[in-house]
Amino acid sequence: MNVVYKHIIRFFVFVFLQALVFNQLNIGFGIHLMVQPLFIMLLPFELTVIPLMGIAFLMGLVIDIFSNTYGLNTSALVLMAYLRPIVFKFYGPREGYDPLKEPTSQDMGSNWFSVVYAILLGLHTFWFFLLEIFEIGRLGFILQKSILSGGLSFLLALLIQSFILNSKQKK
Amino acid sequence: MRNLIAFLQRFRIFLVFAVLQILALSWYVTYLSFPRNQFLTTNNNIAIQVLEWEHDLTKHFNLSKNNTQLQWENIYWRKRQPKFMYQLSRGKVKINDTIFEQQYTYIPAEVINSSVDRRNNYFTLNVGSAQGIKRGMGVFCQEGVVGVIHYASKHYSLVKTVLTSDINIDVNIHMKKSDLPGLLKWDGRDARYGMITGINNDLRIKKWSKVETRGGSGIFPKGIPVGKVSFTEPIEGQALWKVEIRFTADYRRLQRVYVIKNLHLAEQTALEARIPEDD
Repeated sequence: MNVVYKHIIRFFVFVFLQALVFNQLNIGFGIHLMVQPLFIMLLPFELTVIPLMGIAFLMGLVIDIFSNTYGLNTSALVLMAYLRPIVFKFYGPREGYDPLKEPTSQDMGSNWFSVVYAILLGLHTFWFFLLEIFEIGRLGFILQKSILSGGLSFLLALLIQSFILNSKQKK
Repeated sequence: MRNLIAFLQRFRIFLVFAVLQILALSWYVTYLSFPRNQFLTTNNNIAIQVLEWEHDLTKHFNLSKNNTQLQWENIYWRKRQPKFMYQLSRGKVKINDTIFEQQYTYIPAEVINSSVDRRNNYFTLNVGSAQGIKRGMGVFCQEGVVGVIHYASKHYSLVKTVLTSDINIDVNIHMKKSDLPGLLKWDGRDARYGMITGINNDLRIKKWSKVETRGGSGIFPKGIPVGKVSFTEPIEGQALWKVEIRFTADYRRLQRVYVIKNLHLAEQTALEARIPEDD
């Protein structure tokens, strides 16, 4: 399957997952599950940062439309897309990434994936709730929401990863 | 100029990032003041359509709980529906006039239980002493006379109807044209036909002549229709007619009635109590 088509399909799958499933869940404790960072994470290595930010902007726009958040997701996703090459560079192998590989736990190892995705997701989530609440006096609440939502979103991402992994192994 | 281009080249990533962030954040900060931004919410057609599909799928999840809630709400409103409520104050109209003084006032009521095939038939009305119903008041409907209040509890009352074979109820009647007085009776056979007693057989009675109340006893006003003469026959050994009438009102399907309150009844009874006893 063509890489472009694959990611376009993935785009819609993640939008619908987020808009129709995870936006409707009310878990409590201020937990807001987010899967759209995983889409940004799984975009190929060779994508440079400016198209990456463009895609992130588009994704955030659509998610914002569906969740009535007026640019919150857009801002957080663009930040994540901006930071992704920096984090990748910091944790990357010395000789650079293999362009045939994808930034998944299957290709890059679960260790690498966990660390990189945890950093990116944490920054994304913290930025999201910081903007949403926008009150320094409630920093504890922001942190609580970020940690709980980020942690659960991270577990969710691992779960989705494993699904992708299994479907690939079957092929 | 070259320096500027070199600067832009060097920081172009950050500049794109900043522009996108400013776009997103300005949208976030200004969404309240610019209604055009409402297009970029779930208010637009596509998002609404998608969310409607989602709702079509998930709206059944809480069906049982929602039904229970709706049921409770239905009960809540049903309790407050005037249709199902008990009305304490019925429209009693009283007219003040210097030439004509109102003698009767009427209380509308509804028959909530009735029987027509017993020997003595009683109707239950949904008005009672709370509306001023007392024993002895007359009850009539649009088509004709119905009966007399036999017992009134607080919210309901019992009517002894003209369909009563025992002689407890005396409805004074007369022929409309000839003014012959008589008493209404019922033989307990057919709810459509009644009888009149007390008319001397030396007088002629036309068939289908109208019969109405006479208004003597103070229970009924004058002129409430009762029925039409359908059959006459002399009673053997008595100088009286046996007169059978057909009731104008169909008591088998009676719903709305009026209770008569005679405003002069106390005066009349007080006056009639002065009649010397030995007479």
